[in-house]
Amino acid sequence: MLGELGTAGLVAGLLAAPLAALLWLRVALTGAPARPARLASVGALCAAVAACAVLEAALLGHDFGVRFVAENGGRHVPGYYTVTSLWSAMDGSLLLWLLVLGGYGALLARGRPDRLRAYAMVVVSVVTTFFFALSTFAANPFRSVQPAPPDGPGPNPLLQEHAAMGVHPPLLYAGYLGMVVPFALALAAPLAGPAGRNWLRVARPWALVAWTALTAGIVLGAWWSYAVLGWGGYWAWDPVENASLLPWLTTTAFLHTSLDGGRGRELWNSVLACAGFLLVLLGTLLTRSGAVASVHAFTESPLGPLLLGFVLLAVLAATALTARRRPVPARAGVRPWSRSTAVLVNAVALVTVAAVVLIGTVLPLLAEPLAGARASVGPGYYHRTAVPLAVVVLLLAGLPPALRVRDRAGVLRRLALPGAAALATVAGVGLLGRPGPAALTAFGAAAFVLTGLVTARDDRAAAGGRRRLPAATLGHAGLALLAVGVAASATYERVDERTLRTGETVRVGDVSARLESVQRSAPGGRMTVRARLAVSSGGHTRTAAPALRYDPARDMAVTVPAIDAGPRRDVYLTLLAVAADGTGATVRLAVNPLVGLVWAGGAVGVAAGLLALADTLRARRRRPPRDTGVAARAAVPA
Amino acid sequence: MNRRTSRWGRIRPVPATALLVAVAAAALVAARLPGPTDPGPAPAAPALAGATLDGGRFDLAALRGQVVLVNVFASWCGPCRDELPLLAETGRQWSSRGLRVVGLNLRDGPDAVRPLLAQSRAAELTVVPDPDGARSVEWGVRGVPETFLVDRDGRIVAHRPGVVTRQWLDEHLSALLAAP
Amino acid sequence: MIRRLAVGLAAVALVAAAAVGLIRSATPAGRVDPGAAIAAGLRCPACQGESVADSRSPIAASMRQVIADQSAQGRSPAEIRRWFVARYGEEVLAEPPARGPGLLLWLVPAVALLGTGIAAARTLRARPRAGPAPGRRRRSRRPVWWLTAGGLVALVATVAVAADRLAPPVVTPRADPTAVALRLAQDLEGQQRYDAAAQMYREALRERPDDAVRLRLAFALLRAADAAGAERTARDVLDHAPRSPDGLLVLGLAQRTTHPGEAPATLRRFLAVAPTHPAAAEIRRLLDGGAKARTG
Repeated sequence: MLGELGTAGLVAGLLAAPLAALLWLRVALTGAPARPARLASVGALCAAVAACAVLEAALLGHDFGVRFVAENGGRHVPGYYTVTSLWSAMDGSLLLWLLVLGGYGALLARGRPDRLRAYAMVVVSVVTTFFFALSTFAANPFRSVQPAPPDGPGPNPLLQEHAAMGVHPPLLYAGYLGMVVPFALALAAPLAGPAGRNWLRVARPWALVAWTALTAGIVLGAWWSYAVLGWGGYWAWDPVENASLLPWLTTTAFLHTSLDGGRGRELWNSVLACAGFLLVLLGTLLTRSGAVASVHAFTESPLGPLLLGFVLLAVLAATALTARRRPVPARAGVRPWSRSTAVLVNAVALVTVAAVVLIGTVLPLLAEPLAGARASVGPGYYHRTAVPLAVVVLLLAGLPPALRVRDRAGVLRRLALPGAAALATVAGVGLLGRPGPAALTAFGAAAFVLTGLVTARDDRAAAGGRRRLPAATLGHAGLALLAVGVAASATYERVDERTLRTGETVRVGDVSARLESVQRSAPGGRMTVRARLAVSSGGHTRTAAPALRYDPARDMAVTVPAIDAGPRRDVYLTLLAVAADGTGATVRLAVNPLVGLVWAGGAVGVAAGLLALADTLRARRRRPPRDTGVAARAAVPA
Repeated sequence: MNRRTSRWGRIRPVPATALLVAVAAAALVAARLPGPTDPGPAPAAPALAGATLDGGRFDLAALRGQVVLVNVFASWCGPCRDELPLLAETGRQWSSRGLRVVGLNLRDGPDAVRPLLAQSRAAELTVVPDPDGARSVEWGVRGVPETFLVDRDGRIVAHRPGVVTRQWLDEHLSALLAAP
Repeated sequence: MIRRLAVGLAAVALVAAAAVGLIRSATPAGRVDPGAAIAAGLRCPACQGESVADSRSPIAASMRQVIADQSAQGRSPAEIRRWFVARYGEEVLAEPPARGPGLLLWLVPAVALLGTGIAAARTLRARPRAGPAPGRRRRSRRPVWWLTAGGLVALVATVAVAADRLAPPVVTPRADPTAVALRLAQDLEGQQRYDAAAQMYREALRERPDDAVRLRLAFALLRAADAAGAERTARDVLDHAPRSPDGLLVLGLAQRTTHPGEAPATLRRFLAVAPTHPAAAEIRRLLDGGAKARTG
């Protein structure tokens, strides 16, 4: 019964979305009233909401006659994780995808219905149509199961360990699908005539929303990986992580090339705006169709080939529409010591990083048909290629304060202090410890950025300048913090792994952990083994209880680490194995310095995104909409 | 040349190239789908010799002329436990036609294996312990369970990562055992 | 003049110190374990994206052992890597060799760097006024609208047809006779037909010799007042799992009928093993009651 209702919702969406596309096309072509088109877009959103609500109802009501519930529900699953199991597997997460996509469509439809927005809505509606069709025909979670099983296995146990599971995927999707708006606007611009010239100004706030959500999603994902997977790290360069990084890189580049109205960088802006969403689609294809994980998974589900076809269609449309030669306005050359140069170098570096990550992710797919041999790409490759480029990007983030002055000598004078700070950091850290060249240059570059930002604040205050913190400064500070956290935790991590009997101790530096006891319990069918350890560091002793959980329904073990997070370092304990007689355990003790800076840097970056969004919207309200000057900075009151 | 606005003149070279590359990559991905891979000649089985769980000696080289099914298993692996009864039964069923079933016991202890064998009605199975896993690595084992089929000339003719099914066993064994 | 000199000297000193720091930092401290380097360069075949050095899977542990053994025998890292490639194929290398498709790893980023670099340089250059815009023909709107409508229908139809065509043939799971027997048995238990339920459990047990099924059988026998059968079955379970709480519980309850003298000891052992078992409170009451009856 719920199953039919859900399918009905999907079919309603499948009717509303193409209807919206055609109605918006009518608005764009003939200037017809936009009201019916808006209603159709809202209808598509309502259909997605209904489908999600029905599946949630089926999950919460344990209606195992619905296929998705039979595969991912379970009576033993706590309520919170029953709600989040909507996005714990492919078919359900496609509904969340539709919900977010419908939401963006309905929001964009609210704007002034000029030809630009109307054409953009056509693009968004076509994308929505495709995903409704995919959900209805290829991955319908509402198919019925006969006979209905009495219980289900519950979602993957890894997805039931951390509260972040409720926020991380929706944020990630908000980021991914937010990119559909800049993409649609970039495609609409050449079609919309005079109204199209304004597209960048319309697209920038949407790109900021998407970027902020994606940043938050990626950082939360890293945190989840650190707190749940129990391997001690937060980034493994695996295909799923790379898929989220790719659109982030190009969107970051887009947010920079679109500064100052994007003058002189027309092609860069449209290509980068399209690249964001195309990479989202490609990432979905790679990770959701199982193409990267295994060949067989790719052919077993019809999603792979269908998504591949749609990605090609989108690439074709983007190329056809943005690649047409258009007359470009004449322009004087750009001064080499200017923000424009820095923005372009930054874009080159970010696009190259994206190329590195992309080829590293898809090479395993290409190697077999090309050479008949399988290949794999490990973290070592990214460390040698992406990390040096990232240091270049970090150095560029220290330039904006210096580039405020217009002459070369002035720029160099302003770079003297940050440069000296960077060199002093490299010299000091390099002579005291041996962190390796990559981490050392990262420390130096971070010192360069942070000193530059701090001194820039001073000179602005002296000149009686603005007191408000510009979003860019905040964002770049976040990047520098993140870099310090990543470099320090990767370099100075100390680990020991030992099999202990009760009463024995494992020691890393000044931190020691003594095994007190090993306990077993089996609540709700999941077997849990918990080790109690007394951890002493710096004169304090606390109890830590890392655990091993075994889920018989999915034949899967989960390592639950015990993390004592501090500002200076995290003490990270994992239980690897226990002796059969319960008197001993194999324990991994890691001391990770400055990991907190990774999360702090990410949080600062998100705050910077929100601040930039607020600035842009405020500037928008003060300026007449015809003005193409986008720079929020210029409009902030002195 | 600005005046020459023929249909082809308006195409930009860089995006066109990018498009071509995308299509080529997609074609490659699509081509990967059905991959009839040529297995090539069957490789010779690596050596496998040593003391067995019940104190005897085992040497694969001494079993030329017999078909040997090598099953890598461990008591800590659920699917291995599940497939053991089938393997033991297969060994009993075909032993008269020259089949030997050998368990290579990866990183495990005899205390855990013996009850498992008794429980799986596989007590008569020849088990070669591999406490440090070196033998399994020599065989190129990727995970447990994994099963290799060695023909009468000592070559690996079939290899199955993961759980074996009765169908797989029948399919591969009947041909090998039919030959004298 | 002097100030300038001082600044220059300070700058030179800083650069020199930084260079020394960088060089010192680039040379590894102390002796590096060659085995760890080899293990870091090999991919764990049982995992996703983890190196042999990082992975905790048993096969990765075995591979580390093999690396250590071969290093001790004096084999060079290159030889050891070749040994692994011969067994696991080239995919065992964490990074594909820079030939064949592995070349793409360096070629694609290089092309991206070059292409975007040239594009950036062209963007920075001054640009003269471009020629007049090519005149756009005004197209009729009706065909565009109909074409789009047709395209949308085609898109949906393609997805619908392709989804059907590409979907793997639905494998109807063969009814697992054991699962069916177990369900039936549970239903029978619900109807308090314990004899019949025990019979179904026996059947299921023939297909799947499993302790969980055995325990269910033992409980059913107990309820069917076949204490001797229940005791036998519970002992079967306790043979390989001597501390099974449910096994001890059934055994103790059965012994109350068959060997009343041994029952309290068994039940106490049950309480010792599983003090928080849902039945523990009931058993405690039972034992206390028994003790009182004897003393009273």
